[in-house]
Amino acid sequence: MAAVLIVALDAANFMLALLLVTLGLVILFGLMNVINMAHGEMFLLGAYAVVLVERQGGGFWLALVLAPLALAVIGLLIEEVVIRHVYHRFIDTILATWGLSISLKQAVIIAFGPTAQQVENPLPQTVVILGTLYPVYRLFIMAVAVLAAAGTFLLFYRTSLGLVARAVIANRPMASSLGLNTRRMDRMTFAFGAALAGLAGAVMAPLMSVDPQMGVGFLIPAFLSILVGGTGTLLGTLLGTTLIAGAGTVVASVWTQITAQIVVFALAIVVIRLFPQGITGARR
Amino acid sequence: MRPPRVGIHLTVVVWLLLAACPLLLSEWRLSQLAQITSYGIFAMSLAFLWGQTGLLCFGQAIFFGVGAYVMALITKGMVTGVGDSTVIGLLAATLLAALVALAAGLLVFRGRGLSGAYFAIVTLAAAVIAERAASHSRFIGGFNGLLDVPPLRYGGDASRVELLAPMPVYYVMLGAAGLAYGLLLWLERSPLGTTLRAVRDNEPRTAYFGFEVSVYKTFSFALSGAMAGFAGGLFATQFGFVSPALIGVPLSTEVLIWTALGGREVLLAAFLGALVVRSVESLLSEALGYYWLLGLGVLFIASVVIFPRGLLGRLLSLPPPRRMAGPAEPPR
Repeated sequence: MAAVLIVALDAANFMLALLLVTLGLVILFGLMNVINMAHGEMFLLGAYAVVLVERQGGGFWLALVLAPLALAVIGLLIEEVVIRHVYHRFIDTILATWGLSISLKQAVIIAFGPTAQQVENPLPQTVVILGTLYPVYRLFIMAVAVLAAAGTFLLFYRTSLGLVARAVIANRPMASSLGLNTRRMDRMTFAFGAALAGLAGAVMAPLMSVDPQMGVGFLIPAFLSILVGGTGTLLGTLLGTTLIAGAGTVVASVWTQITAQIVVFALAIVVIRLFPQGITGARR
Repeated sequence: MRPPRVGIHLTVVVWLLLAACPLLLSEWRLSQLAQITSYGIFAMSLAFLWGQTGLLCFGQAIFFGVGAYVMALITKGMVTGVGDSTVIGLLAATLLAALVALAAGLLVFRGRGLSGAYFAIVTLAAAVIAERAASHSRFIGGFNGLLDVPPLRYGGDASRVELLAPMPVYYVMLGAAGLAYGLLLWLERSPLGTTLRAVRDNEPRTAYFGFEVSVYKTFSFALSGAMAGFAGGLFATQFGFVSPALIGVPLSTEVLIWTALGGREVLLAAFLGALVVRSVESLLSEALGYYWLLGLGVLFIASVVIFPRGLLGRLLSLPPPRRMAGPAEPPR
């Protein structure tokens, strides 16, 4: 029973961590139609922002606030210099952001070296949940993921700002002729997606070895979650991350991590093939 | 208006220069170039798939890797009953890579198939799967790969000759590249190639005109896979070592960069893209260290944003086939 509970907790933890990483990606994909291959590196920059702030003597909690802000600024910069020019060339956004991914990762290697950095766990305690010891920090990550997802949903579906953003996405010329500043919405949406990636990287940093390769491991599961769930809704993302993370944790608990990755990726490809609109897409 | 002929002239000049390389380069550089030539063929395979058919594949190295592994297994004599000659190895490498691509294409494209970004992400995930699987299959050497792959050789068991001198090796590789180029160019300029470009430019419209789009996409994918496998087989003979690095994401994205930088719509531009980037890399990467990849990444972004047709694509593009040129005199 305890073993099953641990697997369930791990699955929930992985799922919420993946959801946190996927949020920024799905905003750019679903709302802006930009495939952001550099999302993994934005995540990476979030984690390195923590390293940097801690080196300067700032604490982890300060870093947790600064990392998303820093990434928002970097996101604005990237949008202005690169992405703005390729919005109308859908496939080229993949290439441009892939180039960004390579360049950002390489810049991090030049600045911090290729070796792994350590970030102190700010909440090293454990608590007893239904008879098993569980690290507090993992619970904190899960809480942050839930809050971020809820916040994103409220922002885009319950505020007037979100309404404007969705109006621009739904019909750009119409929104523009109604006097909405579409350029500003593009900038803000992109910065918001980047900030979410930065938040995810900062939050995950204490649990991971912070090295230049850490972003890649999350990028593909995050994309597969979006495609499996369907791009249109946040509900789809929720479902996609649940399936990918759940299947991954369960397979990994029976076989190995490697087998889990192969099996989950292959299953995800099959699902995407059978439901090109995602499993929530069939209803629309 | 006469079509610009500068592309034709430049194409001829490039091939003449490539043929003259043994006169211009040291033996060591020449053997380097022979090895890089297989990357050039690899880049052409992607240029055909991506530039002509519009399928952006993030897992092209899967086929290159399959070709390299098949070549290594056969020429090392690890597959019983088929002999261990270079020719059999290359044929098998090409055929098996084609079959893998054909099977994948049938699965992915049939009916309401995948395209665009979905195809890119699915191939990316497939490349990860292939790399992981190769690293953990003991038969093909696992993480360490297969060492001591024999070089190009000909003749029967008793009188077998290994081709080692840089000049003949280079000419064999260049000949193979010329063969691949000729075949792909012929297809590209045939009516079939026109249909592929129609699929690329407007898939629904091509379907409405009565073309079975998925068949064309699957054909292009299988042919491109075959060419990549052929390149991988050749590479194995040149490098002498096959490892999971040849089948995964890093090489898949490298070939994407070569092809995009050179020019995805022009076979020779993609070929030169691979040759130039790899040559410059072997010259400069020591001196530049980590800055080389940073520079390449930035150059790649710049070329995507500013020169979507690549740095050489416009220069080397050929005039359209004569049957497409329309009547010589405008009808009155």
